[in-house]
Amino acid sequence: MDRRELIKWLVATAGLQGLASLAPAELLALGRDVHRRAASRNALRALSPHAEQTVAIAAERILPATDTPGATDAGVSAFIEKMLADWHTPAERDRFLAGVRDLDVRCRARAARDFVDCTEPDQVAVLTALDAAHEEWFARLKYLTVYGYCTSEPGMRALGLYPLPGRYDGCAPLDAR
Amino acid sequence: MLADFDAIVVGSGITGGWAAKELTELGLRTLVLEAGRPILPEQDYVEHKPPWEMPFRGLGDRRANASRQSIQRHSATFDEMSHVFWTDDVKNPYSTPADRPFHWFRARQVGGKSIIWGRQVYRWSDLDFEANLRDGIAVDWPIRYVDIAPWYDHVERFIGVSGRKEGLAQLPDGEFLPPMALNCAEQHVRERMQARFGRERVLTIGRVAVLTEAHNGRAPCHYCGPCHRGCITRSYFSSVNATLPVARATGRLTLRPFSIVKSLVYDSRQNRVTGVRIIDAQTRDEREYTARVVFLCASALESARILLNSGVANSSGQVGRNIMDHMKWGGASGQLAGWTDRRVIGNRPNGIYVPRFRNVASRHPDFIRGYGFQGGAGRAGWDAALHAPGIGRAFKERLSQLGPWTMSFAGFGEMLPREENRATLHPTLVDAWGIPSLHIDCRWSDNERAIHRDMNVAAAELLEAAGAIHIERSTSGPSTPGGTNHEMGTARMGRDPKTSVLNGWNQTWDVPNLFVTDGAAMASSGCQNPSLTYMALTARACHYAVERLKQGEL
Repeated sequence: MDRRELIKWLVATAGLQGLASLAPAELLALGRDVHRRAASRNALRALSPHAEQTVAIAAERILPATDTPGATDAGVSAFIEKMLADWHTPAERDRFLAGVRDLDVRCRARAARDFVDCTEPDQVAVLTALDAAHEEWFARLKYLTVYGYCTSEPGMRALGLYPLPGRYDGCAPLDAR
Repeated sequence: MLADFDAIVVGSGITGGWAAKELTELGLRTLVLEAGRPILPEQDYVEHKPPWEMPFRGLGDRRANASRQSIQRHSATFDEMSHVFWTDDVKNPYSTPADRPFHWFRARQVGGKSIIWGRQVYRWSDLDFEANLRDGIAVDWPIRYVDIAPWYDHVERFIGVSGRKEGLAQLPDGEFLPPMALNCAEQHVRERMQARFGRERVLTIGRVAVLTEAHNGRAPCHYCGPCHRGCITRSYFSSVNATLPVARATGRLTLRPFSIVKSLVYDSRQNRVTGVRIIDAQTRDEREYTARVVFLCASALESARILLNSGVANSSGQVGRNIMDHMKWGGASGQLAGWTDRRVIGNRPNGIYVPRFRNVASRHPDFIRGYGFQGGAGRAGWDAALHAPGIGRAFKERLSQLGPWTMSFAGFGEMLPREENRATLHPTLVDAWGIPSLHIDCRWSDNERAIHRDMNVAAAELLEAAGAIHIERSTSGPSTPGGTNHEMGTARMGRDPKTSVLNGWNQTWDVPNLFVTDGAAMASSGCQNPSLTYMALTARACHYAVERLKQGEL
């Protein structure tokens, strides 16, 4: 057994929920839904332009550009759009989109503006509250943001995961390359 | 009538590739029939494709997997890129009792499952070959270690096995290339286990068919990681990477992909198989090929299916019976303090191995046979942040921080041969080519369940000996039968034609020119990964068959 399989075994429950337990009815719904959206000609298939902008900004607040690239540089919102359109079930996607809309509700209550037009501190405050409350849709947004960033080319280069070292050292100093 | 070929080999996986190599090298014009498509490494191997070039970044096409590969997706090495190396479950159905699932992982392409296998290779010892006799169950193996040892040598020299000699009677050493290194935490655990358990429980680096130096024209491993997506440097052993090219170079190999074997052609007057009947997977045309000798290397359950669909070699009634697999999902993991300034560089395609220690020198009160541990140590990376609290700059810094060293032991337990664990022809279910499918009825017995419980206990003991903290035992029950992809036993070897399908040369008792050399031949399961034994038995059987052919005895 290599480490890959071990990880799969030990943290099997850490992944996105439902992969192993998609009921037949959900599957059919997912199938119909994918066909319907594949037929539409919009570049965005799951998110409206406003929702896409909202998701992109929220992802950047979760993983901001610092001395390394942030979520926007890594194209995280395009990955989330793809996953919402072709991977999640319609029910999962609807819960996610309702959460995205709720960001506007929260920002309007706080600063009388949509999320995208709020100040950065207001945006951070709203997202921090959702994170502390363990909101399910927000946990999904965060998961997709982290996963999308760490599997993007800018993200993997920033984290030193790419290019591959081409050798094995089982006890290397932390700063070794 | 002159036969089309000297030999026909059904299947091009780990044993079919070996049969092709040995038979062609020994001078036989050999036809290899493969049910699936050809594999072109330059095009089909995708191990270096980075995640961002995958539509789902490695999470896989959830919808397609759930609808077309609902069984195959459970395989440990099934992922977004490698899924093409498993079969389509809709085209290749089988059934089980509703309350007894069995995972039948299948691969149809040139190379078969040798492309996606785990590459762990361990010799068996007489502890294994004498086990059935000693315990008075099933049938005695007709061979002993002395019979197979030279063939283990033969296979290891060709495939290239990296490993470390430990001098243990229950896990004989082989012809090893330099071992891969243990990491800092694993080395520590090895030493602490040595101090606590001496030679009873030994942690060694996995013995793996991955090259650590150039070998037979193949390059050493460069530690990229996802072996199961292919290997353009041919650093791990597979039929495509090693045996089939050698067979081709003899000029005596004919490889026919897209050839689904429907049945054997049997001549009752001569009591010989005269060839095989195939369905072309693309045109659906049926045709026959003839040969002087036939080797079934289609995988344990597929070879049994062919025998059952042909109605030959089953006077014992044992074809399809005695299905065995290895039981997983017992074990434990724990954290080790220290080496916070150290990390692993590169992806070692291998883990640690703890050879069987139960029922070796002493007798366990709860079960017979035993298990080995695989596993390893590492530090969590960005994946630990997927569910961590926080957002913003500080949260982002977590992505590049490494967690504590975590050591895990995962058991691989022996399964006893039991006649009622059985595959039969389904009365109505057929595959996409109209060939009757299998109904598989297989379950663990009390002995396997007792082994599973002990895996959790003993793994925790090893971690305690290593000074680990936060030790967590497995909370999973035993794995789904078949799920380890070590299915075997469905045409077992034995000493008596009344109770076994094959003699000690993998030759069917009933039909002299028919051999079965894949996992079907196994009379017990051991707890070691079985592929090395399959390969050694195949090479041995090929030499025997060619000798008999030369003597005019087949």
